[in-house]
Amino acid sequence: MTDLQPLADPLIHNLVHFTRLLRAQGLRGVPETTVAMLEAAEAVGLSDRDDVYYAFRAVVVARPEEVQLFDQAFELFFGSGRRWSPMEPIELKVHPRGPRAHVIAPTSLAADIGGEEPSEVSDEAGASAVTRLSKRDFADLTPEEYVQVQRLIARMVWQPADTKSRRWEPSRSGSRPDLRRTLRGLIGPSGDMMPLSMSGPKARRRPLLVLADVSGSMERYTEMLLYFVHAARGRLGRVEAFVFSTNLHRITRQLAHRDPKVALARVGGAVHDWSSGTLIGDALADFNRNWSRRIVRGGPVALIISDGWDRGDSDLLRTEMATFARNVHRVVWLNPLAGRSGFAPDTRGMRTVLPFVDDFLPVGTLSDLAAVVRLLESVPKRKR
Amino acid sequence: MLNSIDDVLEALEGERYVAERSLGVAIHLALQLGKPLFLEGEAGVGKTEVAKVLASILDSRLIRLQCYEGLDVNHAVYEWDYPKQMLAIRLIEAGGGGERVEVDDIMSRDYLVPRPLLQAVEASAGGERPVLLIDELDRADEEFEAYLLELLSDFQVTIPEIGTIVADQPPVIVLTSNRTREIHDALKRRCIYHWIEYPDFDREVAIVMRKVPNVPEALAADLARAMETLRTMDLYKPPGVAETLDWAAALAVLGTKRLDPEAVDDTIGVILKYQEDIERVRSGGTEQLLASAG
Repeated sequence: MTDLQPLADPLIHNLVHFTRLLRAQGLRGVPETTVAMLEAAEAVGLSDRDDVYYAFRAVVVARPEEVQLFDQAFELFFGSGRRWSPMEPIELKVHPRGPRAHVIAPTSLAADIGGEEPSEVSDEAGASAVTRLSKRDFADLTPEEYVQVQRLIARMVWQPADTKSRRWEPSRSGSRPDLRRTLRGLIGPSGDMMPLSMSGPKARRRPLLVLADVSGSMERYTEMLLYFVHAARGRLGRVEAFVFSTNLHRITRQLAHRDPKVALARVGGAVHDWSSGTLIGDALADFNRNWSRRIVRGGPVALIISDGWDRGDSDLLRTEMATFARNVHRVVWLNPLAGRSGFAPDTRGMRTVLPFVDDFLPVGTLSDLAAVVRLLESVPKRKR
Repeated sequence: MLNSIDDVLEALEGERYVAERSLGVAIHLALQLGKPLFLEGEAGVGKTEVAKVLASILDSRLIRLQCYEGLDVNHAVYEWDYPKQMLAIRLIEAGGGGERVEVDDIMSRDYLVPRPLLQAVEASAGGERPVLLIDELDRADEEFEAYLLELLSDFQVTIPEIGTIVADQPPVIVLTSNRTREIHDALKRRCIYHWIEYPDFDREVAIVMRKVPNVPEALAADLARAMETLRTMDLYKPPGVAETLDWAAALAVLGTKRLDPEAVDDTIGVILKYQEDIERVRSGGTEQLLASAG
């Protein structure tokens, strides 16, 4: 417990710089953070390096994944254990505006969509152009058309079906008396009648869960479909998104950025096995084991986007798919190849999973995506 | 009395709670700065226990709010006592003279049933410093989180018919989450955050010895080692410290001195609750547990 005043200046100086370093690391680093660390330093004193470390960590970090980044920053700034002199002015070259190189390494995907937008794509291309575009397979679009389709995706209207929540709200046709409102109604001019106020369950939106295949065979569709997922997130809010090929990656946080280009670039940086083979069973096993209990709340509708080319073990795929289907409200399988003439879902992977799939739809064109949005408007209340 | 980190750790120790130093620092900060303590960690690592132990150390009342989906103001903050209100209305009407029922007649403090959050604010406003445990916040929905954010920033409750009740000194608040979903950053930022890890081998042995009477140290060590292995086995539900304690208690009742295949087989249901997990351990895993147990 030391009086902060005499030692304030160099400490404040250092903590301001440390805060900038935290920000550069991708952690929360705002003036409030500096203040919180000053308070914490006052509470634990500065003599013991470990205690100061724990104290700063407790006010900066908000989830276990951030601990490692915090450790790096702390070590970098205050040095490793040998010399502990938080009161001596520390200077570090920090470039808070620079790219977070260790997190985001732009890939071809990011580079593609980060490119210059063709300047004059007429927004008034007209209904005929929309109709023409809506039937074209994503794989066959010219770069100009590609951008147009992306714009159309961003403008889609989403009105997914609601379900009941466990919250109650006033409702004439409700089934439960609302005593609070009933009693309130009794105040004032009295009558012989006691009108009973009712309440019913409040509507809520079902969350959407997306698992998108980004393996080699999906390459020509991946970017457009992630664009679609980003649009869904923007409109629906509660969307959890994962991509998989040989491994499963959660991309919900990366997709949260408003700008689809930035969001997709972040996804590109966070995923390392683009365009490799597909192990759907392993990806689902990973999901069921490590994510299901955290993510699957409130009966989500699950969209699995994949062509079903699976190189993995089909017994594993069957058991994991069964578990997965039990845990979600509805399984919608979207296959970009399904719209092509002569398509039959007869790959081994597709045949294995079909018994557990509620809806099987193509997603090769814009009109296919529109059909998916309509499907979400009419998801039945009951699980199959 | 709790003026340093060492005081806190000593007091925890006195309550038979074996804590890492980092947790001691977090608790010390929360108490000194008057901020809520936000504890996250896997199920069964002793998050709730922290609040109970704190209440006992501070010799104050523990007020507990268990969260669940759909938790609303009626159950978290206050509810009116409807039967009592009805009786009051009847009495006024029976008095004859066609009197009107006024707000104050049935909507005063006498007719209020305080729920945990209001209890905590009222107790604090009355000079007490209770420990408020908001348990498993991840089970509540976002709407409740938003309400909590408001409460945590100014520690006051407004009841339209009565007025605002303000706590000058905030209660000691402990929030826990099993991380079945992410809690919003805005809420976490108001708190001192601590992630409780599974204990390491030595600490787990110490916890078992402290908490379960009549367990030989050799058995405690066997259990701690077996648990270390189980937690790396990619199970649906890896066992926490709570399971270790249950297991130790079960084996103590059976009079087991060392962990052997038979003992594991008899008691596996105490620590693993998924059939898949039990099968996984039985098919080849049992030896693994014991091999590591030496």
